[in-house]
Formats: sequence, structure tokens, C-alpha cells
Amino acid sequence: METEAVKTLLGGLAFMADLPEHALDECAAVTTVADFAAGTIIFDEGAVNPSLYVVIRGRVGLDMQVPGRGRVRVLSLGPGEMLAWSALLGGGTMTVSAVALRDTQAVALPGARLLEICGANHEAGFHVMQRMASALAQRLVATRLQLLDLFAEPAGAAPLGS
Amino acid sequence: MRPTDALERSNRWLAKEAFPTLFDRLIELGYAIVGPTIDQEAIVYDRINSVDELPRGWTDEQAPGKYRLKRRADDAWFGFNVGPQSWKKFLFPPHAIVATADRTANGWQMATPPDDPPKYAFLGVRACDLAAIGVQDRTFVDGPYVDPIYAARRREALIIAVNCTQAAATCFCTSMGTGPRATQGFDLALTELPTGFVVEIGSQRGAEIVDKLETQDVDPQQLEFAEAARQQAVDQITRQLDTDGIRDLLLGNLNHPRWDDVAARCLSCTNCTMVCPTCFCHSVKEVTDLQGDHVERHRQWDTCFNFDFSYMNGGIVRDQIRSRYRQWLTHKLASWIDQFGVSGCVGCGRCITWCPVGIDLTEEVAAIRETRA
Amino acid sequence: MTAPAAMRPAIANPWQSDVAVVRETVIEAPGVTTLRLSLADADRAASFSFRPGQFGMLYAPGVGEVPLGISDSCRADRTWSFTVRAVGNTTRALSALRMGDTLGLRGPFGSSWPLDLCDGYDVVLVAGGLGLPPLRPVILELVQRRRNYGRVTLIYGSRTPDTLIYTGQYDDWSNAQIDVQTTVDRADLNWTGNVGVVPLLLDRLHPLSPERTIVFICGPEVMMRYTVRSAVARGIPVERVWISTERNMQCAIGLCGHCQLGPEFICKDGPVFRYDRIAPWLAVGDL
Repeated sequence: METEAVKTLLGGLAFMADLPEHALDECAAVTTVADFAAGTIIFDEGAVNPSLYVVIRGRVGLDMQVPGRGRVRVLSLGPGEMLAWSALLGGGTMTVSAVALRDTQAVALPGARLLEICGANHEAGFHVMQRMASALAQRLVATRLQLLDLFAEPAGAAPLGS
Repeated sequence: MRPTDALERSNRWLAKEAFPTLFDRLIELGYAIVGPTIDQEAIVYDRINSVDELPRGWTDEQAPGKYRLKRRADDAWFGFNVGPQSWKKFLFPPHAIVATADRTANGWQMATPPDDPPKYAFLGVRACDLAAIGVQDRTFVDGPYVDPIYAARRREALIIAVNCTQAAATCFCTSMGTGPRATQGFDLALTELPTGFVVEIGSQRGAEIVDKLETQDVDPQQLEFAEAARQQAVDQITRQLDTDGIRDLLLGNLNHPRWDDVAARCLSCTNCTMVCPTCFCHSVKEVTDLQGDHVERHRQWDTCFNFDFSYMNGGIVRDQIRSRYRQWLTHKLASWIDQFGVSGCVGCGRCITWCPVGIDLTEEVAAIRETRA
Repeated sequence: MTAPAAMRPAIANPWQSDVAVVRETVIEAPGVTTLRLSLADADRAASFSFRPGQFGMLYAPGVGEVPLGISDSCRADRTWSFTVRAVGNTTRALSALRMGDTLGLRGPFGSSWPLDLCDGYDVVLVAGGLGLPPLRPVILELVQRRRNYGRVTLIYGSRTPDTLIYTGQYDDWSNAQIDVQTTVDRADLNWTGNVGVVPLLLDRLHPLSPERTIVFICGPEVMMRYTVRSAVARGIPVERVWISTERNMQCAIGLCGHCQLGPEFICKDGPVFRYDRIAPWLAVGDL
């Protein structure tokens, strides 16, 4: 995809909103657009993956390997949502495996390059980190709710038998 | 005769020699008389048939966590205040069968058990308890659903109020605007003097009862003495509850530290709810015969202080004494107003007297008011 | 003088159940059964009606009584459905009933979903776990009068894929232009649907016109609170968010005192509330 088209795509993401123009240009210059057919493994847990992804369309499942339980799907992501935050914050080692559950398209931003852009331009850096924090906070709350296992059967029988 | 206004009501004089005949007349009219009588060192309300069963010459000494009967110097029939029981014992019986189910060849058949309650004459209803009956009326008969057991007993009940001529240390009816004088909702109201009773007629039914008694015209001096006697009750009240803005005060301070304070003292023993004349919580349990073919649904008094009262979906919402005490107090003094348009408290003081650790709700409210959020 | 007792009209006994007969049972998921009932008395059957969101008290004589949301619209054959999860003595007894068995039914009770406020609006229904049954009558009502509404979305979450209920109807609803989105808390690799909690689907909902959207939510209290949070974050006014609450309901008529949440009796002031009315009480711990 040509740079202008990429830039338009990128600029349309809530993740990139309010980014200063020149920072958006720099990001667009190194962003690629990736298409994953349903069933494609985007990256494996534990592997080094240099790119941060934002889903444009489709659905991505996040899995973790648990010895004795096998692969457990812990979350799915949809359009507008960010994938592989470790590429930007965590040194690039993935904490989940990502698999396309449907035909999926995503933009890929090299984490190291994005960090450089943020370092050189703190205003851009602020926006990017704010978006990251917001996305991770939302995911943290969602994870806590999953942890509460709210749909589990009530423990113990009613004292008066209801 | 249609006396409804206190100023318009007529009064008669019933000499003390004639008072015992009230019982005979009531029995002749088919009433089951319920009145104060001594049982297990307390003045309770129970079925009585003669004046001899009244606690004549007795009085009660009350304080937080304390109740004692003491002999009076005189032989007044009604020289005491209120004991551990209230008229809800008869209008809202502690135990009743509300429905039945029988297994037949065609499946379950549901029925309502026949209910043929006696026609009660409540003798000796204090003003606070009169107000309490009015409060319970709002719960059981004035809402969208009527409780047939309460309604059947209530509509027949004859109410003979007795105006207090003294106050117990735990009384605070004046703060709640419910007494000590009975002003409405009674058929007859008696004020006892050493030589007899000033009888105030409050309804047509009351007038008809008076017609069957030997009464005299009341003279101004007797009215004066009656007024003075009632005033004595007012003067003896020492306890106050400041009800100004109490609804918002309590519901706006649901996390006040005082709740932790009272929770450390409260035993969650449920006494207060049992003696309270307006508490109405109840539960229904299944009782079956051995084959399981005949089932009765038994209603019995319950209390928000019971540990599992708020059980839901595998857990108990109010599993701490703190939240249960808070529920009781905020319901009684605050939420009740939202629900029924009046306070749930009539100032009878029973909860203070019968609390084994002497918790005084007037003090609890004052403490929250002092350091409110 | 009051009239003699014999001449007074008998007061209806709100504790007496109607006799109901089981016409059909459907296993929706492990431990979850739908009972379809008809009332044995012909007059009662003919006159019984309810509004979506109301509940009935189902009675297994000798065992107990439980509140259950009425979970289907009234059929032409005058039967009504209740979906029950077997977790205690009474719900287990009800789940074990077979066609032709009799039980007791009292109701309908409580407040209902404000469908009258949905005309001309986009409607988002959010259900979690056994919160879907009380919303199903709303879905069916929306399907019936589909042209009266804008976009209609159902967001429904369950613990795992095999606990999703009413799955056979999703296509019917989709065909009626209802966007059915499901999610589960956990899944194995055979599931390619959404994984994650219900509020996430509301966070992601596109397109969304918050100024003309109304939301009905039913599920565990924590799930509802966080769904409201997401709704408000998306710009939906909190006055257009409605939830269905739950407490220990026994008499269902506001007399036994068990179901109180602050000044509200859940059985008669609720269970359906506009969120801002009930929110202050839900926010207090152990109330």
C-alpha cells in the first residue's frame, strides 16, 4: 500500500488520533499493512516480535500455553484494538500467541522505530503512551472481570434451600 | 354521633366500681379481650377475661437493657408503660399458615386455609402502639397487596386505648409525634384517675359500648385531673430523638464510622426486631407430612438481623453485624419514610429496654448527627 | 358499625399459587432448563399476561419457591417459559420436572423494561449468563415491531461456549436485523468467536450513535456496573441505561422485607430500574 494510503489508514485509528502531523508522517513511513488469512498464527508466545499491530478489520485470538491444560484462549481483539504491546514496552518478547480467527487486516508499526519517534518528539510520545496506557487499563479491568469469573455457578447450597 | 375531632369528642365518666363490667359487656358482644397481664415477670399482652388479670398496682422500671416490675404505692390498673410485646402479636401473628398444597391424582391442588380469627378487643393500647398499628396498616393493608390475615384481624378489632399517666425512662414518643396522648384511631380512650376513668369516645362502635356501661356525665374537675395526669407523662419523658432531616442524615452517612462502633456492641440477637411494634419482616417455610402429599406454607416472623436474611446466589449480602445493624436502623428511621410516608419508629423505647447490651438508637443517631459527613 | 364478616368480600390471598402444568422442557445448557408452562385454570390462563422484565414465583410444593424471569413471549397456546439453572434444592426440583407435572406459579410481579421508550431509538441489549432469559421477551417484542426501532444489537456473554443458551434462535434474530454478538470468558481453540468480558463488546460497538441509543442490561451485578461504565464512556446518557437487579425475593409483593436495597423493594419497585435511580444504593457495600 502506498504511503498516503497507509497514512490515511493510520490517521483513522483512534490509537493515532491527535498525533502531530509530522509524527504521523514518520510513523506512516515505517508502517506496513498486513493481511492474515483466518487460521494464520501472527506470532507465538515467547517469540521476539518487533511490531506493534492495530487491527483494522477481522478478529484475533490471544492464547497462552499452560502445561497440562494446553492452549487456552484468554482474549480476542477486534477492529481498532492494539496487539503486541510488548513490542513497544516489553522488549519485544510476546506474552501470548496471536492467531487470526477470521480474515484479518492490521497495520504493523516497528516498536523500536516508534520508540525513537517518541523519544525525539515528546509531544508525539505523550500521545502514543497515553493511548497505550488507556488501552492497557481497559484490558486490565477486563482481565479482572474475567478473573472474578462472574458467570460461575454459585458456591455452596442455599442455607434454606432455594 | 360522629365524633372525630378531639375537641368535639364526648367524654363520659366510668367509676372504678363499674370498670369490671366492661369485661362482661365485651364478652357478651363476642369479643376476645386482649389486655396487659403479668407473665414471667413482665407485663405482656394476652387473652384475658376479667379485670383480675390486669397488673393492678404494678409498674415497670425501664432503662437501656433493663426491665423490672415494681409494686406501686396505689392500685392503678394501668400504671405502667409498655412491655416486650405489642399488638402485632395478634394482628400479624408470629406464626400462620398462608397456603396449602395437596397432591392429588390430577397433580397439585393449591388452597388457602380457612381463617376464622376471633373478634379482638384490644384493651390498654398506648398511644405509641396506636401509632404503630397505623404504621403496620400502611404495610399490610394500604399497599398494592393486602395481607388477608392482618386485614381480617384488623377490621374486626376494637381498640380501647389507655392514655399514659407516666413515662418510662426509655420512652420518647414525644419526639416521634405519637404520644403520650392517644388522639386518633381508637374506639375508646381511657385516662385513669384514682376514682375511675375519663372515657373519650372515638367512634360509633365506641359509643355503642359506652351505652351499655354505667357511666356518668364527666365533670370539669375530672377533665382537669385527667389533663394533669396525661401531662405527667409528658413531663416524665427524658429521652429525645432529633428527627430533623433524619432521612437524609442516615442515608447520607452509610459509611460513617459509628456503624463500626455500634457493630462492636451489637450481638445481632434480634431482640429489637421482635419487640418492635412496627417490624414486619417474615419468612415462609415448607412443612410437609411424611408422604409429602400435604404441604403447608408456614409464615413466621423473621428479622433482618438473622445471619442469612439477605442470602442470595451463594452468598450473604449483609454478612457482617455492621451492615445488618445499619439496615435495621436506616430502614426504621429513614427508608421507611420513602416506602410508607411515615417513620417506622413510634418512640415506644422497647428496643432500648430489651437490648441486652443497652444500645440506644437515639444515641446512635445523635452520634452520627454530631460528626456527619 | 362494620358489616358482619360473612358479608365482607374475601381478600385475595397473594400467597396462594395458581396450578401450572409443564408442557415442555428444553435443556439449554448443562444444568440449565427451560420449562414451558400453562395454567391449569382456564380463566387464569386466558387472562394471564405480563410485561417483559417481570418475574414469576415458581413453586415446588414441599421444597420451596424461587423467582424466575419470564423468559419468552406469551405463545398463542397461552404458555409461558421460565429458564432455570439448577443450583439449589428448589431449582433442582424444578429442573427435574417432566411434561405433565404440576407446580405452583404466582405472578407476574415487578417492574418491566421500558419498551415504550425505545421507539425511534437504537437499542442495545446486554446480557450476561442467566441474564439473557429476562431479556428474551424484549428481543421478541423488538422483532415483532422491528420497524419502530433503529439499530438493534444483542451483546451476550457466557462463561464458556457450551453455556451459551438459546443458540438455536440466534439466526432467527439475525434474520430480523438484530446484530447478535456473543462472547465467552474462556474457550478452547475450537471457538473462533469473541473471548473476553461483555463490556469489551460495548467498547467496540460500531457504528454507535450514543445520543439516540438506549441500553438494557441484565446479568451479574459487577458485570452490569462495568457495562454501564462502558456505556457512559461511549457517550450514552445514563438516563437511557436500564438494568434488572436481584435480591433475595420471597413474597414478591413487598411485604416480607427480604429484597430491600436501600429504600427500594426489588420485587415491586424493581427488578428493572433506570440505572441512576438504583446506582447510589448499588454503590454502597453490603447494603
